Amino acid sequence: MDLIEIFQQVINGLSRGAIYALIAVGFAIIVNVLKFSNFAHGGVLGISAYAGYLASSQFNLSFIPVVLIGMVTGAIVAVLVEFIAFRWIRMQKGQLVYFFVTSVTMLMLLEQILVIRFGSFFDTYPYDLIKVKFINIGELSISVTYLISLAVTIVAFGLLIYVFKKTKIGIAIRAASNDMTTTSLMGINTGMVIIAAFVVSGMMGGISGVLFGISTSLSPQIGQVVVKGFIASVLGGLGSLTGVAVAAVALGLIEVFLVSTIGSGYSPVVIFALMIAFLLLRPQGFAGVSFTDKA
Amino acid sequence: MLEINHLHSGYNKIKVLEDINIQVPDGKIVVVIGRNGAGKSTLLNTISGLVKISSGSIMLDGEKLPPTPHRIVARGITQIPEGRRVFPSLTIEENLIMGGYLATASEIQKRTLEVFETFPILKERFHQQAGTLSGGEQQMLAMGRGMMANPRILLLDEPSLGLAPLIFTQVFELVQQLNEERNMTIVLVEQNASIALNMADYAYVLEDGKIVIEGTGKDLVVDPRVKAAYLGGVVEE
Repeated sequence: MDLIEIFQQVINGLSRGAIYALIAVGFAIIVNVLKFSNFAHGGVLGISAYAGYLASSQFNLSFIPVVLIGMVTGAIVAVLVEFIAFRWIRMQKGQLVYFFVTSVTMLMLLEQILVIRFGSFFDTYPYDLIKVKFINIGELSISVTYLISLAVTIVAFGLLIYVFKKTKIGIAIRAASNDMTTTSLMGINTGMVIIAAFVVSGMMGGISGVLFGISTSLSPQIGQVVVKGFIASVLGGLGSLTGVAVAAVALGLIEVFLVSTIGSGYSPVVIFALMIAFLLLRPQGFAGVSFTDKA
Repeated sequence: MLEINHLHSGYNKIKVLEDINIQVPDGKIVVVIGRNGAGKSTLLNTISGLVKISSGSIMLDGEKLPPTPHRIVARGITQIPEGRRVFPSLTIEENLIMGGYLATASEIQKRTLEVFETFPILKERFHQQAGTLSGGEQQMLAMGRGMMANPRILLLDEPSLGLAPLIFTQVFELVQQLNEERNMTIVLVEQNASIALNMADYAYVLEDGKIVIEGTGKDLVVDPRVKAAYLGGVVEE
């Protein structure tokens, strides 16, 4: 690999990692608030990816509206999943394993909806959604699609940080991640906080679905990429969204390099082996911190 | 006036409180003492709506309290829970904002300044995560967070637990100050009976989920049964 090629792989890896970061953070928000791994997030991502696909292929909308449609679809589907699936378990104070099993079931159900509507083929976003394909700087040719997904991700993260640091409801989502009961003692309607968490998580999932669909291809199983979000949120350390985002970018970079060197067959094997090795060395994740009760 | 009439409550099938009758007149300090496991926290959590009422009632000004914790806070009843329960990954500023969740932005600003006046240490550490504070500082933050709601009735669950004597004296002074200066009604639940009874207008002794003795704070301090069981001179814990 020469230097130019390495540089291009870094750009590809960062762009892929950025999309993983969006997926992982959307996934981790629900893990933090409700303490279970929400694989239905993959279904949210899948439906949004196809919503963006319809918007661009049937209605010829341009890139930004397509991303926005994906985002809104993600929020709506995530809240629907909460209403249809998780709410009842919460009302009955069900065990976490019920949430987990339900979330996997919802992922499969949402996938099947896509299979029924679109068949189990591969589709691609319209070729001219992004007009300019490459920017050439000397020998270097950089994919505009990748640059744009990188930019969209940065904007999405900017918004996310604003919501979580500067708005009352955003701070309440973080408070609920610390301690749901005490949050209710502040006069905060925790039911609303949970819905807000699903809205934010779904928006992130929707954007990531559209970006992932544009940069790869569409199939009803697209939602299974949520596993990457799961890996990143474990590696990043529970509770720290920054750690999760960093882990996701690292995962994207590693994956792109592995695919270009040892191929896409072996790459997942190496990634899972790395994940296990990492967790043995640092079980709290990249940024995992735990505050202990002080007497 | 907060009135608890023939209250029974508990968790699932486990009964904790039996036939509790407590009156909390406006502007008074009412203390409930009792040992670990007597049901003190369950009592406050039932008032706050975290524990379901099995039978009996809790009335505020003759009206039943709403069924959910956040609506009870909106009625002016705030609890400072046992063990402080600050939000460890939130900054002190964010913890205080959560305490004043139902208030307007300008009220939050005004009350934050009041909290800083009471606890200057919190101002110094404004942007620090609450989890990095010492136990005593966390109790100050928990008190400050409770003050942010500016409640009519403040419920305190064992604020002295695990604190050095100097700090808990401060905490009790503050409670009296809130009562005197703001006419805030206080319901204080404590194991540390002597200090609590001395500041009480009225007090109850809770044993095994039942009220066994009640009277004015002054009466209970000299009550031989209370003396024997709770004021033996040996510091518990």
